[in-house]
Amino acid sequence: MPDYTGANGLRESFRVVGKPNIPGLTSYAMATGIAKFGSDFTVPDMLFAKILRSPFAHAKVLAIDASKALAIPGVVDVVKWDDPIFGDITQNPFSTSKTGYLPNEAHKEGAEVGAVVIAESEALCDEALCALHVQWEELPFIVDIKKGLDPDFPAIRGPEWDESHTYNPPPKTTEGHTWMATHYPEDPRKKGNVGWSTKAEGDMASGWKQADFILEYEVNVHDVVSLLPNPQASVAWWTDDMYRPGKTLRIEGAVQRRGAIATMYKMPDENVIQEGLFQGGKYCDWGLRMAQEITPLLSKRVNRPVRCCNTREENFDMCVNERFAHIKLGVTNEGLITAVDDSSLLDHGAPGSSEMTVYDRDWTGYYTLKCENITQRYTVVDSNRGFMHTCGQFVPYSWDMLTVGIYLIAEKLGKDPTEIARLNLHGPDSQKDTRPVPSFEACLNEGKKLMNWNWHPAGTKRLPDGRLHGASFRYQMCPRHAFLKYFCKLEYRDGVVHFPTQGPIAGWFGTECFTMIIAEELGLMFDDIAVDYDYRAEHTDEAGGSDGVTGHGWVVKECANMLKKKILEAAAREAQETVIRFGPMEMPKPESPLKSYKAEDLDIMDGKVFVKSDPSKFVLFSQATTETITADFGSYSPKSAWATQFGRKLDTMNTSWCEVAVDDETGEVEILKYLVVADPGKVIRLTSFESQIDQVVFFSQGCQLLEEYILDPETGVKLNGNMLDYRKPTTLDVPIVDKEILELRSGDGAYGASGIAHNLANSHLIITAIHNATGVWVDPPATPDRMLKALGKC
Amino acid sequence: MGKTQIGISLKSASEQAAAAIAAMPEQPKSIRCPICDIRCLTYSALTDHYAANHPDCVIPTTITLHVNGKACSLIIEPHLTLKQVLQYHLGLIGAKEMCDRGACGSCTVIIDGKPALSCNILAAECEGKIIETVEGIAVIPKWKPLIDAYCKWDAMQCGYCTPGFLVAAKVLLDRNPHPTEKEINEALSGNICICGTYPRHAQAILEAVKIMAEGSDS
Repeated sequence: MPDYTGANGLRESFRVVGKPNIPGLTSYAMATGIAKFGSDFTVPDMLFAKILRSPFAHAKVLAIDASKALAIPGVVDVVKWDDPIFGDITQNPFSTSKTGYLPNEAHKEGAEVGAVVIAESEALCDEALCALHVQWEELPFIVDIKKGLDPDFPAIRGPEWDESHTYNPPPKTTEGHTWMATHYPEDPRKKGNVGWSTKAEGDMASGWKQADFILEYEVNVHDVVSLLPNPQASVAWWTDDMYRPGKTLRIEGAVQRRGAIATMYKMPDENVIQEGLFQGGKYCDWGLRMAQEITPLLSKRVNRPVRCCNTREENFDMCVNERFAHIKLGVTNEGLITAVDDSSLLDHGAPGSSEMTVYDRDWTGYYTLKCENITQRYTVVDSNRGFMHTCGQFVPYSWDMLTVGIYLIAEKLGKDPTEIARLNLHGPDSQKDTRPVPSFEACLNEGKKLMNWNWHPAGTKRLPDGRLHGASFRYQMCPRHAFLKYFCKLEYRDGVVHFPTQGPIAGWFGTECFTMIIAEELGLMFDDIAVDYDYRAEHTDEAGGSDGVTGHGWVVKECANMLKKKILEAAAREAQETVIRFGPMEMPKPESPLKSYKAEDLDIMDGKVFVKSDPSKFVLFSQATTETITADFGSYSPKSAWATQFGRKLDTMNTSWCEVAVDDETGEVEILKYLVVADPGKVIRLTSFESQIDQVVFFSQGCQLLEEYILDPETGVKLNGNMLDYRKPTTLDVPIVDKEILELRSGDGAYGASGIAHNLANSHLIITAIHNATGVWVDPPATPDRMLKALGKC
Repeated sequence: MGKTQIGISLKSASEQAAAAIAAMPEQPKSIRCPICDIRCLTYSALTDHYAANHPDCVIPTTITLHVNGKACSLIIEPHLTLKQVLQYHLGLIGAKEMCDRGACGSCTVIIDGKPALSCNILAAECEGKIIETVEGIAVIPKWKPLIDAYCKWDAMQCGYCTPGFLVAAKVLLDRNPHPTEKEINEALSGNICICGTYPRHAQAILEAVKIMAEGSDS
């Protein structure tokens, strides 16, 4: 594996990397409305399709009489679930459907089921759906997962779904990177609607014995929904292309999943064309919705382009599952945790949900502790609450169970929670390492200073205006994805460096980060790099947010240095030439200033290839060589502590701090100060780095103060599946987030970077500050009515 | 085939916005029955077709919309929203549909100088009114500092809601060329950004205000 500048980079001064306010490559397109998202594509002669949605939380379609629908002028076709056409496609590798492509059983209200209508307009589709005579069989449903524990409750899923409760070893990549831990062989088999999974480490009996007291507490995480801003949609049509054998499929809207679509439709990749780049805020949301996959099938059927677009309500999926955690900590009188027992009840969601946050036990704060006696016992209940489409950007994983625990120990012992955290945090290299973690210490000290941190016990401080004052603190690791093999290809052509990428553009400014790295390594400016968006390019931005950007950035950095080496070799080679050749003709060539120098004597900076020992001797970078030079590099980046050690190694850290005022007469909560001190190792693109912090605080504040997903317990139907009734924060709601960025360069991405991304998202930092103000726990969202109830005032 | 054309500078984005406006048809390209896709030569032929074949249906109506300085005569179904007509009949995609019911501001356009939610307004109601969309703003040099500042400050992440914010910002600055941060946040509070870019909008608008003021002084 090449490593021209070292994984952590020896570079001390940066000309491009880290600079703020460089406009994004597609920002102008986005701002001016010319950026095309999936739902923006329309083509002549296009038909529309809509999928039947279940009005029930759990139901089976027994039969559909489509005759009235088909009699409506303008309704072109109704395709039912048992139509042989569905045999023409295979499983999308990014889908978890196991019951045929279009099922006849719906596992949540609003699930696609039974039939698709195709018509000349969206209005006619709606009319046709209403005209379908559907014979439904209502089935038992679970939207209250505590009730779902009842062993006598009928199983809501057929045996075909039991696979999710078989216990496979964690998959590993060929390089040995653990993708994610899942299930454990010693767990009992699923029974009814309930599965179990227990991960145990250390010697629990010894841990309890060392403890002076046991602390028991509960942390409830409610589900959070509604992330994708853009309606998921696609339009597809088939053509004959003289340059390609067989049919060519053009599909727009299934951004970044051209390969999956090709697999699904049994097509060679090169026969699938997809030029759209913009996929909206699909942060770590890897799946396609049916509306993005089904249009090629329907287009083939009716021999016209077909568009299918979800409504907002049809996109109202969850990104965090409901969880009820009961935690027991063994603690010494000094505040040292000696045993952790996390007994959690979790929602498994409707079939097809991502299990990432349900079963992934490694991404938790527990392994940052010196304590090695840790048991996580998960009880997982199948439900009909909704689909959980993973959105890593917003998933707080299991971290705040520990945040609350540290706070409670501090409360009990009358100590500052930052000191409890410091006491319990293991050292940089392992859980047995007792040395301080430099990144944590830096983030902690800076945070305390900027917060003017002066800890007080719960319910003991009032502000001059009479409101109660509370504060809270949490720490976490800065993440970096390094699971995947990343690719980069660069080309020096006609004096310009080209960086081909397929995108997508989803909001994390990845291509910009990579371009900055390339420019940095080649001594060029950001604008000097020609970024070629091309759906056929091997390079993709899909690398997991800013953390992936830095992991991937290492590969890009190496590739840029490969290109640089080749350019310098070519420049040295051409400098020796005495003639210029035009085909058979030759003419004398002026002597190059680089003549008689070897490649290793040369360097590139400020658009020049120059002699290191005498920078006055140079040629312009654009004239360094007439050759076309390509560097092509694909590799796993260095394993990151976050990706492979999950808390057992600590390199780059961050701390978050929150200060609130609670009016105990009205129940209103105001965030007075929100501070993030982050050491991502090295910031690649400052402006988007800071925006990413704002984004996760937006999420965190929303889910703790405003957002609540309400299901009718009687019918299992969503009561607020729209943006009027489900309240996202607005410009008037969000707090100003103070940010302090440290760069200790201790990550193992490019230049020691590690990233930021979702690790600052939290479910209980504000809730903990509210407890510190009031002495009472309120389950999020802490709306005024809930606050007053918690305070015993209503 | 393969390389995607995107506006990677204001110049190219403005040119593409201008091209989108230029491509808006001033007359219907063809007269087509929206129910059965049959082409008719004239509007009266379409009404005859409706009388014969769809007697219970509402006949498409003829209207003229004044969009971004251009008068476009259209034959549309009366139930279509302005957002749908902008996209399906005029090819303008800057007004985005997010919430489906006037709660998010992504589809904001300007009608007779006031911000309006195009997903909640029937196109048929807009006849005779002056409609501006984000594409129209993009081609006016006066607003270059605003667009520049939006891009410089990343007042966008995924970019889906951004045009709606930019339109709302333009309306604010038309009304109040020197807004405070509080006034900006109030003016933009009807626009939802799920990527949480809110602080960036005030930052960008305040910078644009300063640059626009300096420009007008000079």
